[in-house]
Amino acid sequence: MILVLHLIALGLYAVGTALVLAPYAGLRAAPRALTLALPLLGMGAHVIGLARLTPFVGVAPTLSMLALFMVLLQVASEGLFRAPAVGVFTGPLATGLVGLALLIGLAPEGAPSTRGPWSILHITVSVLGLAMLALAFIAAALYLLQFRELKARRFGQVFRLFPPLERLDQLNHLSLVLGFPTVTLGVLLGFGVQYAGGASVDAAQVVWGMLTWMVLGWAVGVRVVRPWVGRRAAFASIATFAAVLLVYLALKLTAPGTQRFL
Amino acid sequence: MTITVLGVNHRTAPLEVRERFAHGPGEIPGSLERVLAAGARGGVLLSTCNRTEFYLSDPDDAAPEAVWALLSERLGGARRASDYGYTQRDREAVRHLYRVSAGLDSMILGETQIQGQVRDAWELSKARAGPALHRLFQSALLVGARVRSETGLAAGAASAPSAAVAVAAKIFTRLAGRSALILGAGDIAELAATCLASEGVRVTLVANRTYERARAIAEELHARALALDEAWDHFAEADIVLCSTAAPHAVVTWDRVAPAVARRGGRPLCILDLGVPRDVDPAVAQLENVFLYDIDDLQAVAAQAAAQRRGDIPAAEHIVSEEVERFWAWYGGLAVVPVLKELRDQMERVRADELERALRRMHLSPEDRAQVEHFSHALLNKFLHQPTIALKEAAGAGRGYGLLEAIKRLFGLERRDDA
Repeated sequence: MILVLHLIALGLYAVGTALVLAPYAGLRAAPRALTLALPLLGMGAHVIGLARLTPFVGVAPTLSMLALFMVLLQVASEGLFRAPAVGVFTGPLATGLVGLALLIGLAPEGAPSTRGPWSILHITVSVLGLAMLALAFIAAALYLLQFRELKARRFGQVFRLFPPLERLDQLNHLSLVLGFPTVTLGVLLGFGVQYAGGASVDAAQVVWGMLTWMVLGWAVGVRVVRPWVGRRAAFASIATFAAVLLVYLALKLTAPGTQRFL
Repeated sequence: MTITVLGVNHRTAPLEVRERFAHGPGEIPGSLERVLAAGARGGVLLSTCNRTEFYLSDPDDAAPEAVWALLSERLGGARRASDYGYTQRDREAVRHLYRVSAGLDSMILGETQIQGQVRDAWELSKARAGPALHRLFQSALLVGARVRSETGLAAGAASAPSAAVAVAAKIFTRLAGRSALILGAGDIAELAATCLASEGVRVTLVANRTYERARAIAEELHARALALDEAWDHFAEADIVLCSTAAPHAVVTWDRVAPAVARRGGRPLCILDLGVPRDVDPAVAQLENVFLYDIDDLQAVAAQAAAQRRGDIPAAEHIVSEEVERFWAWYGGLAVVPVLKELRDQMERVRADELERALRRMHLSPEDRAQVEHFSHALLNKFLHQPTIALKEAAGAGRGYGLLEAIKRLFGLERRDDA
């Protein structure tokens, strides 16, 4: 059942992604209702499938959850910000993540997990925060692409199909401002779980995790306090997301812990 | 029953001629009344800067002459309006209006303004339109809407002023409430300002070398007038700057505007340079968050949209053809009913006369008379059954008109019409 639901979600995400990408291939754009409905239907199947994967043992459920949140944010961006171009990144990414999760194997590995509800909440909130950071990165990347086209006076597909610069800047701002407290809450929940004895985390992971959190705090700070806007803010978002990815990869390579959900 | 369109448009007449033919809303009822008095069941006058067209239903021979005479009077001199005009009848007249409403016959392919103009023409002429034109214009508006929703004919900005709006809309989330500064008093800047104003942009300042000219435009746009040299400081507040001065060299230079741009706090500034030669030094585009576009850029945007629109012409023409057939089927049906009634009445008169004459000679009992009378009714009904069915079917398939003409001629209904 879990597999079938994930396959349904995968199929709907793939078709939805194809519809989002169609105008970039010179094909007629699909009706907006359809580009919203397909991912929403996929999410319906995905949520049910994911709920059956609790307590999220192994990497595959987390990848699946990340894909779900990416699609959720894609639909929210399209619905609230009229930014269908976000789907150019999130669509293939979410489809790929669900596909990867299916390849890795969704079924819980090894012995039954002892993860409690707080631990599950920590994972959920952290993955949601990560998805928001990814959205901030995507909005920043779209901003820089549109900025470059507008400055260079090129009026191709990016000019026609991407949202206005200001809207992308607002999307980036909102994703960072909402993403930072979410990640912070995820970190705090992680500490709580660790001190309650629910998980053991090595010191390197804590130190690098804190450093990453501080970099993220800096990116939000310069946006909100200075305040940086436009291109500078976009570069800050991209740098922050890159830092998060680098730290993750470094930790994954140097300390492949079994307790981590990613 | 016929529908005829007579008129001139941007393809058949130069601007100097078209502007003489253009009717203001107040002139339309008078002109229409005059043409209808020459003999037509109904009429609608569509008059824009690019076309003046009279749509007439069932016009007499004198009606077209009245149209050309009326337009020739407006033209003045010895010139004849008919030399610049065209006439389309029946299906082609319907097709013409549908193409006009869809923007297929517009100077800027797919422009949407014409839809409103067709609606206005219908509203102004409604009292004199008659049922056929009433239906025709209503359906034309639906055809226009269908073409625009089902094809990309209206997508993008296909003129330089609308391209200015499209470019600004790619920088700002919403144009409504943005402030614009106009430098210079060129016509195209005024046109672009009007386009931006229609999107909710507030033109707050108009600067020109001649203060009086700036004041004249500022009054029209409810803005404040400035001398040109006072304008540079306002680059700190404006969101959009429209330039169209008559200066022979760039007036907006880095030195003049960089200090003001630095005070913007990173907010984007869109500068639309519509002047030829250019009013803005290209170096200004190097300033952070300044987006500079000249007339070539805007024309490139417009040309791109126009090229895309051209690709949608076959789909739009297909919709028009479909709708022409649908209208013509309705129109054919409309014409069939009175002709069938007249045919039946005529045949009934013949039957009654001949029956009366026969019965006078036969001296039959009342029962036998009733039998013969019943027989004559049945015979007439049998004779008329097939032509009635055929005519109704043909009308339903949009071919009723030709058959109708044949029946009128064969049964002498046309002569009665003429009488």
